[in-house]
Amino acid sequence: MRITSTHLIEQSAAATSSAQARYATAASQVSSGLKVAMPSDDPTAWLAAHRANLRTALVDGTSQAVQYGRERLAQTDGALASIQSIVSDVRMLAVQGSNASYNPTSRAELGTQVRGLFESAIGAANTQSPDGAYILAGSASLVPPFDATGTYVGDAATRDVATEDNATHATSIAGSELTSTGGVDVMTLLSRVATALSNNDLPGIRSSLDDLTTAIHQVGGVRTRVDGMMHVLDDVKTAHDALHQTLVTAASNYVDADIVTAASNLAQAGQALDVAQTVSSHVIAMVKAQST
Amino acid sequence: MSDLLSILSLGSAGIAAQNTGVSVAANNVANANTQGYSRQRVDLESMLAAPLVGGVRSGSPQRVASDLLASRMRTASGSLGMSKAYSEALSDFEAVSTAGATIDTQLASVFTAMSQASVSPTDPAARDGVVASLRGLVSGINMRAGQVAAARGEADHRIADGAAQATALASQLAAANAQVAKSGDPTARDLRDQLANQLASLTGAHTRTDADGMMRVTLDGGAVLVDGAHAATMTATTDPATGFGKLEVVDGAVRRDVTAQLGGGSMGADLQLRDHTLATTAQQLDQLAYDTATGFDAVHTTNAALDGTTGHRMFGALAGVAGAAAALVVDPALSASSANLALGTVGNGPGDNAGAVALFQLAGKPVAAGGKTLGDAALAIVADVGRAGATAKGDVLRDELVNTHLGDLRDSLSGVDTQEELTNLSKFQHASEAMTKVVSTVDQLLGSLIQNL
Repeated sequence: MRITSTHLIEQSAAATSSAQARYATAASQVSSGLKVAMPSDDPTAWLAAHRANLRTALVDGTSQAVQYGRERLAQTDGALASIQSIVSDVRMLAVQGSNASYNPTSRAELGTQVRGLFESAIGAANTQSPDGAYILAGSASLVPPFDATGTYVGDAATRDVATEDNATHATSIAGSELTSTGGVDVMTLLSRVATALSNNDLPGIRSSLDDLTTAIHQVGGVRTRVDGMMHVLDDVKTAHDALHQTLVTAASNYVDADIVTAASNLAQAGQALDVAQTVSSHVIAMVKAQST
Repeated sequence: MSDLLSILSLGSAGIAAQNTGVSVAANNVANANTQGYSRQRVDLESMLAAPLVGGVRSGSPQRVASDLLASRMRTASGSLGMSKAYSEALSDFEAVSTAGATIDTQLASVFTAMSQASVSPTDPAARDGVVASLRGLVSGINMRAGQVAAARGEADHRIADGAAQATALASQLAAANAQVAKSGDPTARDLRDQLANQLASLTGAHTRTDADGMMRVTLDGGAVLVDGAHAATMTATTDPATGFGKLEVVDGAVRRDVTAQLGGGSMGADLQLRDHTLATTAQQLDQLAYDTATGFDAVHTTNAALDGTTGHRMFGALAGVAGAAAALVVDPALSASSANLALGTVGNGPGDNAGAVALFQLAGKPVAAGGKTLGDAALAIVADVGRAGATAKGDVLRDELVNTHLGDLRDSLSGVDTQEELTNLSKFQHASEAMTKVVSTVDQLLGSLIQNL
């Protein structure tokens, strides 16, 4: 094969150009930290990474919702704890009032205390979440679920949160759990006790004691369910956090450049470019010398 | 005496022959860096003449080139022209189509906003967030559809420009053919080869040099662009059916549609891009837009809005899949008020979130064509362009390798080696000087003879 001087120069120029391209690629990886910047760099890796990113975004969205649901349940538990405590206090006052040694005035004073506790219970049961929704109202969350008489005006609907593409978990309980459908009507019971104490209705007071005991257990039972829901959401949140980390790591493995490897590649590409440029200059000098 | 005169003639012919050699070598050196130049060679022939000596004469300078190699180079050039133009155009489109928020991330924003609204269905901020994310998604799909249309339009412009360029090249090539036929000038052959290479790189044209020395140029599908000294024209006229240019080879009254036949060169790349790759992308975008609208609306219209009413749309009604990406809009009523966002169940209060959960869970449902999720369908559109780009990059490497190899072969055969030419120059010069001395010696002998007579 004839090797012409033009061919020699073209070959060395092509080698230099190729070395420059490799150096540019290596430099780009070091500066951007990405080994796959565009889909065409590695379509499979790009697709896998972006699928992972998409999944991460959805998991993060779900996780936020779960976190919000968890906070709402914690708020619900707080409200129920207040109600349970109030019911216990009312039962204690009712026990005092059922004592035959108490006179009507003393009972009326107890009735006043119980009325105050009843109103506190109503306040707790009408707790609103930060977005203004009444947490015990079911789906009728824009209006207070318990009116001034303690009657429940909400519905029995509960709210779920999506924890997976095809799974949901409950994040609320309805105030209907505190009505007779769950045992006794807790709020109206408190009102009834207050009235009985104020009216010196000893039989009424005594007959409410068992209901108050039931109410304490009823509210406690609801709290236990809320605690269970919170545990489930805690587990879901933990799983989401782990999944998030796994997905982020997977996406990174697909497209991020290993900085040590990238730096090493850059150094090698730099050396190769230096050598190619040196060879080119030698070839040009040689051809020039031959021509003169 | 007569013998001396023969020697004088021999010397004269020798000087002429060697001077031709000097001229050819000098011409080769002068054109060492001329693009497309094929070195020339002069062959010296023996002149056997009676009665005593022969002599030497030079033939016409011969162009050292291979028609077969040139033809293979043109084929490779057409292939490289196509893969390079296709790869570059795809790379440009890829850069544009992945800039900013992509459709998959905008879909993720919609689902994330929906997830937040599902835990606060009555919260105006959460509802507004969903509507805002829907606007972002619609704007993104509209924008991507616009980018695809623009890229197809740019390819269309390049095709029209290419048609005009191909016509000019074909005309020049026909003229070069005429000149080659007339004079056999090696320079005209070089020019013709270069024109044929440019035409091949532009259109993927095939060439054939017939026994009459004329080059014929045909396109994929057989349309003749150059036939000897006659050239057809290539035109791009707007096809009302597609809105894009239709490529035709026009020869007198005969028009031949070659739009679907051009499979090489940069014009072939633009046709591939305009009519196949990006046409598929446009269809995928339309399908995604349609599936998004129908998928969400199928759930949303059965959900209850804040006021308990049902039948509300999330997206404006679409006439069909075709053009859906450009036509997609957020439903005007929903855009006007997020109260029309239907996140609840019919019969329940405004705080019900079952509808929102169902809408969120569309993220994992195979509502897009081909049993894909909407997110996967969105990613597949970009990934398909990426795959085509990766294949095109591989094709460029392959075609460059083939072209380099063929270029090396051509250079080996037709390239000028200055060392070789300088040696030839020196050789011819010395031979010429030697012949000059022969003539001079014979001249002296003749002079002596004449004086002694």
